[in-house]
Amino acid sequence: MIKVLKSGVLLTIQDFGREGYRHLGVSKAGSLDPFAQIIANRLLNNNDNDAVLEITVGLCELEFSCDTVIALHGSDLQATLDGQAIYPGWTFAVKNKQVLSFATGRAGLRAYLAVKGGIQNTEVMGSKSTDLNACFGGIEGRALTTGDEIPITPYYGEFIKVGAMAPAQRKLIRLHPSPHANLLGEPLLSNFVSTAFKVSSNSNRMGVRLEHKSSLVHSHCLPSLGVSPGSIQLPPNGEPIVLLNDGQTTGGYPLLGTVIEADLHQFAQFRPLDTVEFKYVTFEEAAKAKQKLDGHLHQLSLALKNNL
Amino acid sequence: MKPTPHIYALTNSSLLFDASYLDATDRLSIQRKIWALASHCKSTDEFSDLVPAMNSLTLYLKSDKHANKWLQVLPSLWNDIKTSTFKGQHHLIETTYKGEDIDYVARYHNLSADEVINIHSNTKYHVLFLGFQPGFAYLHGLEEQLHTPRRDEPRTRVPKGSVAIGAAQTGIYPADTPGGWHIIGHTDTALFDSTSEQPCLIQPGDTLEFVPLVNKGATHD
Repeated sequence: MIKVLKSGVLLTIQDFGREGYRHLGVSKAGSLDPFAQIIANRLLNNNDNDAVLEITVGLCELEFSCDTVIALHGSDLQATLDGQAIYPGWTFAVKNKQVLSFATGRAGLRAYLAVKGGIQNTEVMGSKSTDLNACFGGIEGRALTTGDEIPITPYYGEFIKVGAMAPAQRKLIRLHPSPHANLLGEPLLSNFVSTAFKVSSNSNRMGVRLEHKSSLVHSHCLPSLGVSPGSIQLPPNGEPIVLLNDGQTTGGYPLLGTVIEADLHQFAQFRPLDTVEFKYVTFEEAAKAKQKLDGHLHQLSLALKNNL
Repeated sequence: MKPTPHIYALTNSSLLFDASYLDATDRLSIQRKIWALASHCKSTDEFSDLVPAMNSLTLYLKSDKHANKWLQVLPSLWNDIKTSTFKGQHHLIETTYKGEDIDYVARYHNLSADEVINIHSNTKYHVLFLGFQPGFAYLHGLEEQLHTPRRDEPRTRVPKGSVAIGAAQTGIYPADTPGGWHIIGHTDTALFDSTSEQPCLIQPGDTLEFVPLVNKGATHD
């Protein structure tokens, strides 16, 4: 068990999220940075989809009530275990009664904490992820609060003491073309890709809102269509919204395009006032970017095997 | 030449089938074909999700290897598919028509509350698609007589099970949520249960009717 002494800003249980229920209005949910989840899990020889804690901003405190091994990934939120520094990308043994504390980071927004064997809450609709909008999954469908007890299995065995790098951060986000290019018109789209946006503080797990000075205002109205994490909606006020994992399943705003799969996880780490720019790429370039990330994970697995 | 819907590759593994611009007088017949298309695609087991929306279908593939094949196959499937191959379920939604706004809606249309109930409950509604919240159904068929502009000020909490009207639409709130529609009634029918094998009672392509309940089943007042 892990006891929440302080929950910080937003602490949730996540795995890869839900598939197969989008036609029922059920969002994906799941880790905003699935690569951080995968790397943290592989360091512990867990399954990639084992549930982890997603820690936003930090400022939380967790007490372990059994021995285990942990791995952190994603942003460095200045974690300490009984006062000793804990670094992202490494494995650490934890003893019963030890306290893991997070301060906050200078860059990035979210850290992922994997424990040996994964978090053992009950699956709902095929996933352990917390759906904060529909209020199910995780623990009672809500963010964790002080006093919550997170179920884990004790572990007393051996583990590999190794480190893993994170894929590089990007500020230039690659996009698939807009299905509404004709509707929105070339001038608006070229204005869009030549604009540097600021991440709004009004962003959350549903979507990242983008502020800017140039004008993308329009007056188009569309019948609702399916949207998913990565879809970029353009409401009439001209401020784009990049939908993330908790985003709705259908929407009626025109789309500027879709973030390529390889770049979507970058949005887990953007903080308010960070700058983001966009660039349209071909389907081949998107596939190559995905292969490169998969290659990174494959190399990690090989390296871990050689260390066994 | 027969007009064909637009098909876009949204990503390496998702496609948008868009029939919304087709100049059809009967949007419902297009929607029926969308459901039939979704049902056919589902049977291939190549998709992780199939999301019908307003005269469109978004297809999420399990593997990006098959995207090109489907881009090419979908137009002929659309032409060949028979609407009659799709049959949804019919639901009876027992409703207590004592909603907070029913008198307002009646006054707005110069009707009595009983007339509002009669019109609302004598219509067979088609479930076009689900969205907004798990289990929330976009219904087709509200009589024009009952089209009512949304409330000036949305409620911060519309209770679960509220039957409501918003402009040209009517619907049932599956869970407590803020909302701006006028509440005309309540139902105890559970629309969404995340722990159930079939979490949503209502599916796109189903039909439903509201059945007025008198002096029983009400838990709200």
